[in-house]
Amino acid sequence: MSRLFDKKLRPELYSDLSELTFRFIGDLEKCMQCGKCVGNCPAASVTQYNSRRIIHSIKLGNVEDVIKSEELWSCFFCSSCYASCPKDINFPFTVAMLRYASLYAGYGWEYVKKLLPYALDYYRTGMTVLQDERNPNITRRRANNSNTSGSMADVREKMGLSRERKVSDRALSEVQFISDVSGMTRILKELPHKEEKAPLTRAELDRMVTVTGPNGKFAGFPEEDDNA
Amino acid sequence: MPRAEIVKKVPINDSYFLFRSCVSSSKYPGIETSTEEVFARLGIELEDSPEQSCCGGFITFTSLAEVTASLPAVARNLSIIEESGKNALTVCNGCHMFLTEFGHFMDHNPDITNKVNEMLGMIGREYKGTSHVLHMLEAVAGLKNRIKELITRPLKGLRVATHYGCHYLYGFKHDAVDDPYMPTVLEELIEIAGAENVTYPEARTCCGSGLTQVIIHKEEMSLPFLKRKLDSLKKIEADVLIVVCPYCMTILDRGQFKMEERGIEEYGVPVLYINQLLGLAMGIDPVRLGLEAHITPVKRLLEKLEVSNA
Repeated sequence: MSRLFDKKLRPELYSDLSELTFRFIGDLEKCMQCGKCVGNCPAASVTQYNSRRIIHSIKLGNVEDVIKSEELWSCFFCSSCYASCPKDINFPFTVAMLRYASLYAGYGWEYVKKLLPYALDYYRTGMTVLQDERNPNITRRRANNSNTSGSMADVREKMGLSRERKVSDRALSEVQFISDVSGMTRILKELPHKEEKAPLTRAELDRMVTVTGPNGKFAGFPEEDDNA
Repeated sequence: MPRAEIVKKVPINDSYFLFRSCVSSSKYPGIETSTEEVFARLGIELEDSPEQSCCGGFITFTSLAEVTASLPAVARNLSIIEESGKNALTVCNGCHMFLTEFGHFMDHNPDITNKVNEMLGMIGREYKGTSHVLHMLEAVAGLKNRIKELITRPLKGLRVATHYGCHYLYGFKHDAVDDPYMPTVLEELIEIAGAENVTYPEARTCCGSGLTQVIIHKEEMSLPFLKRKLDSLKKIEADVLIVVCPYCMTILDRGQFKMEERGIEEYGVPVLYINQLLGLAMGIDPVRLGLEAHITPVKRLLEKLEVSNA
């Protein structure tokens, strides 16, 4: 994960670019626009999403456009772009960081909202995926397939397991504690009321609390190293 | 590094910590029981703990909260593994990815580890970085010669297709036990089980979920992509599809039902975890292997193997 910060950047190349853009250049500087990533990309095969174009946009200084775009939310996070990249650019990592930036700037909350039920399950039980089926046909189908009622509890019991896997009370309280002190609980509470904000100005975007630095701050321009 | 070298480096111990996955425990418990059964026959002890929760990686994946919320949740689970004094075995590509990546990240960023440990200290835990986290596939690959001796009912004539899952091979390309684009570890294990390998054009592509796209962009992205994969799979008339990730299994197994439910296409290719297949080849009871939890029927497969589904 730290790979993005390890590289020696060349600030002189980006003197015209905003701080915001600079934060995302990182490894992308190595991109030679070969497009292998797009050829392997599942999202590119079903939509207009194009990782090569996104990298190009960022290098030209159009990070704002990328942050505002719906495209940004098309990535499957399969990492096949990373696997095929001849320059070893971890593009999914960049996408993750761009998504955080997008959320900070007030975009993309409608996508994240859809994931709230899973996060609440995690907070409530310590597990993200639970036995309850959201589609009742699944249970019916399982009943047809097996000599059980179709409920997961019965299937588990027949296998010689407890009717439900539960994390211990201590584990649950620890999970909730970590969520509380790390700020996740607050986000979960606010999420249903989140609405799209008015677009931020360039200056506001540049001032935006950065999400790329390891300590939660803009890492700053690295010191020049002539031997690099 | 050549693959054989990486496989050799996999620590093979007498006992492991079994890191359970939410998806497998809640949707396909056979993934965990088949693992327990296979490892019991190998004479390897598996320990687990109710203190273990969800790996905590989904928080990062979904952008729901910052990485700084995910990191201590992952570190807490790692500290539980360390308490057992064993190396961990994960059954899920996602758990494996987050436990190894975040562990690696903390090992190389002492400042961050200190901050994380400050938080963990408040609940009486600490991350030290003393345990290895292995993917099931790595351990099984390292144990394949011992597995060979345990095969009592070779799966003769069974046509088997594979799906590795992105987060093991692609996201882990430098350290995975196999080449991301030419993986053969599963194929070797299938051969050991006595079955026949078949391949299909979309074998190495994503299952169509990417953890969140099945929720965010189900209709316009996830399902069309899944359909392409399943169409390609159907053409080769495989008897079974083998996966190494419970989440891929959820998507591929239930996706077939979804397509059927919507009147798009019928596929009927059962999806099994590698240890479930090895379990069948070792003559383990299909009920204990959890095959009744599967949504795409496994009946025809079992009939073919002449195992009665009691």
